[in-house]
Amino acid sequence: MSYVVAGYVIVLTILFLYGVQLVWRRRRLTRAVERVRAASAATVTRGAGHHPPVDR
Amino acid sequence: MSTNQSVSPIRPSTEAKGPPFPSPRARRVERTIGIAAAVGTACTVWLGLWVTPPDATKGNTVPGDLVRLVYIHPGVAWVALYLAFGLAAVSSLLYLWPRTRSLFWDRLAAAAVEVGVIFNICTLISGSIWGRPTWGVWWAWDARLTSTAVLLVLFLGYMALRRVPAEPEVRAKRSAFVALFASVDIPIVHFSVLWWNTLHQGATVLNPNLSPTIHGSMAWTLLLGFVALTLVFVWMLLVRYRIGVMEDWLGSGEMDMALTERRAEGVDPDGSADRAAGGRAPGVGASLAPPSAPAVPAGAALLSDAPTPTGPGAPGGPGAEGVAGAEGAAGDGVGMLPEGAR
Repeated sequence: MSYVVAGYVIVLTILFLYGVQLVWRRRRLTRAVERVRAASAATVTRGAGHHPPVDR
Repeated sequence: MSTNQSVSPIRPSTEAKGPPFPSPRARRVERTIGIAAAVGTACTVWLGLWVTPPDATKGNTVPGDLVRLVYIHPGVAWVALYLAFGLAAVSSLLYLWPRTRSLFWDRLAAAAVEVGVIFNICTLISGSIWGRPTWGVWWAWDARLTSTAVLLVLFLGYMALRRVPAEPEVRAKRSAFVALFASVDIPIVHFSVLWWNTLHQGATVLNPNLSPTIHGSMAWTLLLGFVALTLVFVWMLLVRYRIGVMEDWLGSGEMDMALTERRAEGVDPDGSADRAAGGRAPGVGASLAPPSAPAVPAGAALLSDAPTPTGPGAPGGPGAEGVAGAEGAAGDGVGMLPEGAR
């Protein structure tokens, strides 16, 4: 029975930890996206829609 | 050098392109699937460990309780081999097919492979735990085991390939070819127990006669395990796909910033813009610089798609690593620009 319990514990732990990691990654990226959007919105409000000539 | 060429605003604003967030309905569906997956898995564990009886045909040399591993081992193998890697193969094929070519399929394949690798690892571990008391060894170079391990290595290679800096289309194309190549191993894994004499038992449910040799509470628990683990896979796939969308979205923003930064250097050879911006745009904070400071508004980088990048900071060019590695850079706004874009 110890092999069975070990199998369940290991498999479920791997899946659980991977799920937690996914949620953590998503939350981290969501915050980053919100920050970028807020920053770009603020710049647009200040008139950043004009693109000055730039060099290639 | 010409200085009268503007950045073409292919993507005029982030709002026009649409935020990379799911709709409230999609979030509800995702949450529902997640809860159902958790409940289903908990029920499988409860039925598998406490309700179902031990195997009556074993008991002399092998403990009858070992059959309880069957409620999760085929389930994770089903998800890894058939759902995840099968989906990756189909998605890659659809990406390569000119009529259906879209980065959606590429992201879906990438998400499916990552989740599939996790399930494949679970398959090998649970199989090894089954093998130790049954066969007397943790690992045997058996056809089924070896082909499954080869499949894992192939898709680990796929994941490694995706981390090589490249244009999204180039990365998608070569990843799709590798996924299709790796998928050749899926039928080999499936039929290995028929083609060769193996330690691994033959198919119990999906056998060639299509007559399951399992019944009663064991069959229902096994079925529940398949459903629960499939729901776990679907939930993980949805979340991982969303992560891929956000990574790409942030990655393109970083690329814009890096290119604009380089162009600003070219426009302003005496470096006044660079000095005004503090010498280096500090990640997302570049957009937060005072409006009067930079020669090129840093926010413009987030609002426009630059032409084909060729200079430093471009994929494949010097400093491209920081741009392509969207995940690490995008998280907290630190290191959003590659070294080459200073």
